[in-house]
Amino acid sequence: MDRINKAKLILWTILGIACAVAITRFIFGLGVTTNLTDNTPWGFWIGFDVMGGVALAAGGFVIASFNYIFGKKVLHPIARAAILTAFLGYIAVAIGLLFDLGLPWNIWHMIIYWNPHSPLFEVGWCVMLYLAVLTLEFTPVVLEKYPNIKLLSIIHGFLYKIRIPLVILGIMLSTLHQSSLGSLFLAMPYRLHPLWYSPIIPIIFFLSAICLGFMMVMLESMTSSYLYRKEQEINILEKIKKYASYMIIVYLLVRFCDIIIRGAGSFLFNISWGMTLFWIEILLSCIIPLVIFSIPIKKIKISILYFGAFIGVVGVVFNRLNVGGITHLNNLTEIGSFYFPSLMEFSISAGVVSVAMLVFFFFVENFKVWEEMPNINNSIKKSTRFDSFKVYLGTNKIINRTKFSFAFIIAFSLTFSFISGSEIHSSGFEKTPVTKARGADTLIIDGNRDGYGVVFAHENHKKQGFTCGYCHHMNKPDDKATGCYECHDDMYLTGEAFRHEWHSSSNGANINCFECHNKSESKGKNFKFSDKKAIQICKDCHNNIIPSDSRIKILKTYKTLSYTDAMHSLCIKCHENKLKSDALIKQSKPNLAQCSSCHKNFKSYKKVKKLFQDKKNNKWVVIPIFKQIEGNIVQ
Amino acid sequence: MKAILTDITKCIGCNECVKACKVINNLPPDKPREWQKTDGLSASNWTSVLHNGKYNLRKQCRHCLEPACVSVCPVGALHNTETGAVIYDNNKCLGCRYCMMACPYGIPRYDWDEPVPYIKKCILCYYKIQNGTISQPACTSACPTGATIYGERNELLKEARRRIKSEPDKYLNTIYGEKEVGGTNVLYITAKDCPLDFLLYYNNRIEKGIELAGMPDLNEALPITTKWAMGAVPFAFLGMGALMSGIYWVINRRSKLQGVVQSENQKKEDEDGQDK
Repeated sequence: MDRINKAKLILWTILGIACAVAITRFIFGLGVTTNLTDNTPWGFWIGFDVMGGVALAAGGFVIASFNYIFGKKVLHPIARAAILTAFLGYIAVAIGLLFDLGLPWNIWHMIIYWNPHSPLFEVGWCVMLYLAVLTLEFTPVVLEKYPNIKLLSIIHGFLYKIRIPLVILGIMLSTLHQSSLGSLFLAMPYRLHPLWYSPIIPIIFFLSAICLGFMMVMLESMTSSYLYRKEQEINILEKIKKYASYMIIVYLLVRFCDIIIRGAGSFLFNISWGMTLFWIEILLSCIIPLVIFSIPIKKIKISILYFGAFIGVVGVVFNRLNVGGITHLNNLTEIGSFYFPSLMEFSISAGVVSVAMLVFFFFVENFKVWEEMPNINNSIKKSTRFDSFKVYLGTNKIINRTKFSFAFIIAFSLTFSFISGSEIHSSGFEKTPVTKARGADTLIIDGNRDGYGVVFAHENHKKQGFTCGYCHHMNKPDDKATGCYECHDDMYLTGEAFRHEWHSSSNGANINCFECHNKSESKGKNFKFSDKKAIQICKDCHNNIIPSDSRIKILKTYKTLSYTDAMHSLCIKCHENKLKSDALIKQSKPNLAQCSSCHKNFKSYKKVKKLFQDKKNNKWVVIPIFKQIEGNIVQ
Repeated sequence: MKAILTDITKCIGCNECVKACKVINNLPPDKPREWQKTDGLSASNWTSVLHNGKYNLRKQCRHCLEPACVSVCPVGALHNTETGAVIYDNNKCLGCRYCMMACPYGIPRYDWDEPVPYIKKCILCYYKIQNGTISQPACTSACPTGATIYGERNELLKEARRRIKSEPDKYLNTIYGEKEVGGTNVLYITAKDCPLDFLLYYNNRIEKGIELAGMPDLNEALPITTKWAMGAVPFAFLGMGALMSGIYWVINRRSKLQGVVQSENQKKEDEDGQDK
């Protein structure tokens, strides 16, 4: 298999994975597919797909300006490829943005609802317009292929005539939005680290985008030469290398002058996370590429040059990621939780990049993007012997397509099966399992063991005339007083009392579905639950599931309240009623229904006490409040 | 311009305001999710009461006079109102979450678990007050101790100053929200031993030794920070266009002239050659 086909096979596989994840994202929302939080609402999709993507596509306007405006005709052979990369880059940005937006179908709102104060509004408009300009710039390449159709050739002629104004318009728009991506962060002085927050961040972004543009074009030229087994374009590489070095030096100067003039110089040598990230970024984006580019091209291997350009591209994208999220103070300090992208976020981003690359290969192979069309068939060996592989995958012509389809389908279906539904539904919930109440006559009811529980005296309540069944309102078979924790098994989340799987499995209760569910007469598929019958069936095994003195009379639902809700609804109701009815108690114990009357300051309270009274810590905490309970379980 | 004044020393932490807010806005019960912050605010909880052992503090949207969220929203879904409440229009929202990023207090919350998510935050019961259903926000009317009160901003500022003046030993001599980030409509006064500097988002980085290097003044409204960049947009746009056209014209002309000169030179050489 040839290099290019191997690459395509990998890309199709990634695309398959991404498609499965994309479906999940749109069905279940952002919360379960990403690691974004209220503290870090922007993540990898904004940092890499949008900010990195726009920067990566900077090659288009940089090369176009050098080729058409500055008259550097040496660059002409790669101008079309650069514009195609930019075009696909922006398409990729738009697709990436669709995943990140909460309401992507409203993206057109930017056209009709205006807010010119917003940098994002400006970026949105510029990207839209620039995408249109790039389309017009690239269309001639497609139209060239059909010289016989008259209409198309007229359009081609027209576009060719206006190519210089188009290029100039493209440069104007690029200047704006490359820098405006930096302006996005001007409004966040409280988020960005001082090494990155600068009043001139738009200018820094523009300069680094030009550096990246050059390096990206080098990378692209070398990669496609490798994949399509062409000769390396040494002359062009040498030129771009020179321009790139100059731009990097300018960028470095501006960056450091800015930091020193602002007075953030002390952070450069003050050992911290911010400093480390900054120096890594400078090393990657400036120093390594500068050193490699300073060596004459004939003295080094092409692979080292490739390495230099690649590291430079990674460095500038790393800058975008730093500004976009990594160095935000809630990530660097202990104020918030540290954000790290989830696997799903990575796979969507990888999928978007693969789509762009596949489309690039398509255009390169079918249209005259380069001076010579790459010949992809010359390397297929003609084997005369019988090839069993070929029999199954088809003839020479379609063998690759079959392979790609298989790769895509297998990757898609495997990923889809790995994304488990229950995991999706449960992710995002912080489960707090409940533990058994400690003690016998005097219980310590403290489900999550945070020392913030209640001491409950069984005897006292018995004296008040409550029977066991009043609180132990439902019991397991042959059990007189099942613990609360068995059904109310999560501190804050509702749970299931009825274990459906256990009851239907042959190892468990082994009950036929139709014993509980009524077969609907009309279709036979529609199951309907019948109260009376079910209870009869339950009673066969559960003799005293509902004690006669229970507060529950009829089973209405198998959902259980959360532990806190169950406890509070059980206790408070009585306490409040008691307080209202009994004037004597009201006088002697006016606080009977106050929180602190039950949640007393006893021994195991220490942990919270410490938290509260540690004044140096001065931590503010939220105490869970009683939930408003809709729909009472008590009949 | 209406405002809310919360007096930390009077709050007893009974959570009545939280309940009232939930009831009037018909908010679902809270579930602990991993994307929530620890301050108790969430898409279903627009106000929360924080406790530190001695004092209680009610958190809610601060309703800035010059809100960062309003200035950054690309579609203008968030907007200021004449009563001072900062409200939002769900129908315009794109879901870009720029408002959450830009808010200096970190207030707006997101429906992370919904396939059709919206931004959620306190709106000072704007629509209900406009309708005339209620005369003041549910939280202030529910407060049993008068720790949080609603009224004209100027009146409340006077009241806050009066309280501080009458009991200078008890109160800290600052009105939080009077000037910071251009002033807010939710004001706090607090006890001497309980400064509320942490309320401003990431203000505690100063404790961590990260100073304000090149950052705007604390009392400066955030929309000002983007003003120069947005103002420069038309000039950068047209300037770049003019520059590029100029360079193109010069270089094109030079290469044309060079072409003419070259062809003349060639002619001369040819003629010379013919002569010889």
